[in-house]
Amino acid sequence: MSENNVKIVSFLCNWCSYGAADLAGVSRLEYPADIRVIRIPCSGRMSPKFILSALREGADAVWVSG
Amino acid sequence: MDTYTKKIREIAKDLLASQKVDRVIGFEMGTIPMAARPVSIESENDAEKLVFNSLCAMNLANYIRKPKGTIAVIAKGCDSRNMVNHVVEHQVDRENLVIIGVPCHGMVDKSQLALEVEGEITAYDEEGQTLKITTAQGELTFEKQDFLKDNCRLCQHRNPVIHDYMAGDPVTEQELEDPFADVNEIEAMSQEAKSTLFEDLTKNCIRCYACRNACPLCFCPTCFVDESSPQWVGKSQNKTDVDTFHFLRAFHCAGRCTDCGACVEACPMDIDVRKFTRKLIKDSYEMFGWEAGLDISKRPPLDTFNPADPDDFIM
Amino acid sequence: MGNLLEHMGVEKDRIHFSWISSAEATKFVDVVKEISDKVRALGPNTKLKKIYS
Repeated sequence: MSENNVKIVSFLCNWCSYGAADLAGVSRLEYPADIRVIRIPCSGRMSPKFILSALREGADAVWVSG
Repeated sequence: MDTYTKKIREIAKDLLASQKVDRVIGFEMGTIPMAARPVSIESENDAEKLVFNSLCAMNLANYIRKPKGTIAVIAKGCDSRNMVNHVVEHQVDRENLVIIGVPCHGMVDKSQLALEVEGEITAYDEEGQTLKITTAQGELTFEKQDFLKDNCRLCQHRNPVIHDYMAGDPVTEQELEDPFADVNEIEAMSQEAKSTLFEDLTKNCIRCYACRNACPLCFCPTCFVDESSPQWVGKSQNKTDVDTFHFLRAFHCAGRCTDCGACVEACPMDIDVRKFTRKLIKDSYEMFGWEAGLDISKRPPLDTFNPADPDDFIM
Repeated sequence: MGNLLEHMGVEKDRIHFSWISSAEATKFVDVVKEISDKVRALGPNTKLKKIYS
């Protein structure tokens, strides 16, 4: 994997950041294509094992956003 | 500690005879030298089995969850903190629990002692703060103070936090200059050095889960390592899987670990599992001013919200 | 979480937490850029990635 192509697994809360991502798309804002979004029903659904699992399966970084 | 044993037997006999409790959980001597094992007795005649010495390092709080009837249990300082944890986490009702507190002088590190003597240890005895070891070469004596377990050296709660009976007079608590010197040492290392340290630490792990089974905090009906769909962590001895297991197990103990050392005691490969949990003990102390299992009326910090909670890790 | 991972020798910038309201599309874009830059600087993850052999 080249350094210019990283994978950031992003856990986004349905009601907050996922909405923001949606709005960013609708507003045609540009952002790096490094993130892989996973929608979670609430930030409270987050668990440490998701983070470790993501890293284990080859993610370069994990981002949790509420 | 013979006075402790005597007193414990007396209390246990009394409790069973008067039917105040259905069973007493304590320690008896194992079948090999230098081993004490947990025992559950239901008849007052069996009370003579009970012992207490510097080998009773396992945590009896592990055997008191969801009891049938009322049980009495023997508790060192750290064990009693785990019992507080259990009551707070609704694993046992305080009314069903009779705690026989034992003021603790620390437990002996068996593997360290085994390194000191040549050949097999055939008999063990202790008198006050002196340990008497018999090997094929003859009898040797050691000072107990030199062979304390690492967590006992750092222990600041030697006396039981809650108890119904006491098997002796409270001991003086240790005053430590810096209780987290070991954690600070690792924190000061470079990232590469830390990485190597933990790589070396876990490389012998055989994934027997003895640390998990010995830990009173690990009571999930299905542990994450046993879940298969989805499978959070592989079952092999792959480095990543081993690290993931140790990391996640430690993290599940955040704000709950009492540093009783049962995990290290149980480990057949002598891995210092506490290297993980110590960091979390330090963090929960520094971030939330919290030490686990000291107050039966308080909820743990990861369980409650406080506007003053640290949040500087959020971007 | 991040603290213990760092303690184990995993780079701190591999884990990010943030708080963005659903109306803050511009903040979302800024945060993505920031994280992306940091992770690119770190390069690929080698510490906790499972290598199947």
